[in-house]
Amino acid sequence: MMHIGTGLVCGTKIRDMVQAGFHFIIFLADWHSMINNKFGGDLEKIETAGEYFKHCFTALGLTEDKVEYIWASDLAEKANYWERVIRVAKTTTAQRVMRALPILGRDLKTQDVEAATLFYPCMQAADIFEMSLDLACAGIDQRKAHVLAREAGEKLRWGKPVALHTPMLMGLAGIQGSEKGSYDEDPKLSSVIAAKMSKSKPENTILLHDSPELIEEKLSKAYCPPKIVEGNPVIEYYRLLAFPTNKTIALNRDQKYGGDLEFSTYKELEEAYKTGKIHPQDLKSNMARILAGLLNGVREYFDKHPEPLEQMQRLEAK
Amino acid sequence: MNQQQRLELVTKGTVEIIQPAELQRVLEEKKKPRAYWGFECSGKQPAPHGCLE
Repeated sequence: MMHIGTGLVCGTKIRDMVQAGFHFIIFLADWHSMINNKFGGDLEKIETAGEYFKHCFTALGLTEDKVEYIWASDLAEKANYWERVIRVAKTTTAQRVMRALPILGRDLKTQDVEAATLFYPCMQAADIFEMSLDLACAGIDQRKAHVLAREAGEKLRWGKPVALHTPMLMGLAGIQGSEKGSYDEDPKLSSVIAAKMSKSKPENTILLHDSPELIEEKLSKAYCPPKIVEGNPVIEYYRLLAFPTNKTIALNRDQKYGGDLEFSTYKELEEAYKTGKIHPQDLKSNMARILAGLLNGVREYFDKHPEPLEQMQRLEAK
Repeated sequence: MNQQQRLELVTKGTVEIIQPAELQRVLEEKKKPRAYWGFECSGKQPAPHGCLE
């Protein structure tokens, strides 16, 4: 199931790009998912999941008149595409490609992999040129793929794509609750990637389809130390999810605790939290309300189009 | 929307642009530049996080 990191962080950024005049492609990487053994590498199941993803983005306002949806299999059926993949591979070394494997969620210390895995970073770079892109967007965990694409593009005289990277959304357990592992040579970036909303831990993640009640329950258990901002996922959701889509943020609070508050910038909210003017409980309950509001449209959309969600639920139940 | 507003909208909420000067040039030279975001099509499985996204 799609999580709010993908739905809201990516969804908001893509809307910005469309508004700024970009022709924007949402690329459904079915072949890449097969290589990465999603759904056991079953391409049919992966395509069902891709259709569901398309519906999620549509529900978030990214309809086909605003963005173009392209499947990796649309590219893969052309022989020229595979020539491009090989040309990219010829610009680099197996060792460098191995070092890029954290883009697949693999630990940097990984020693041996299926040989198909080595195609993945080369395909990701080739995709950019195959679709004649000026710019590639992704979470910061994908920077190695983009650096590879830029270097290959320069060597092959195909041009250097601009790379735009968004922050990783922390899981509800925060940095301390994240898994251990090494995903980048830079230890700070490595821990940020490790704290990304891991899809394998449902209690650590808010999903696009969680009910307002479930969102509230999950947030009530979130890591949220008083007065501390660093590594605090709840305040981070204000910065990354609430403020980018709202001019002002209202915090509803019981009269006996000082009544409602309103903030027009994230900095003001952060300052108030640091000085102890906002209790963690109020920060959490208001975030639950804000998230439920942001996801309202998605809920309404899937109430009207239940089929793709049900298919996805059947896949995940297996 | 002028160039400055476009640039602000594109860079808003990002942690890194490689390279900002190149982005500026793309926005100046092209009315409708092409961009993408790739997504692996996966669910909640005991898989490593992330991938394309």
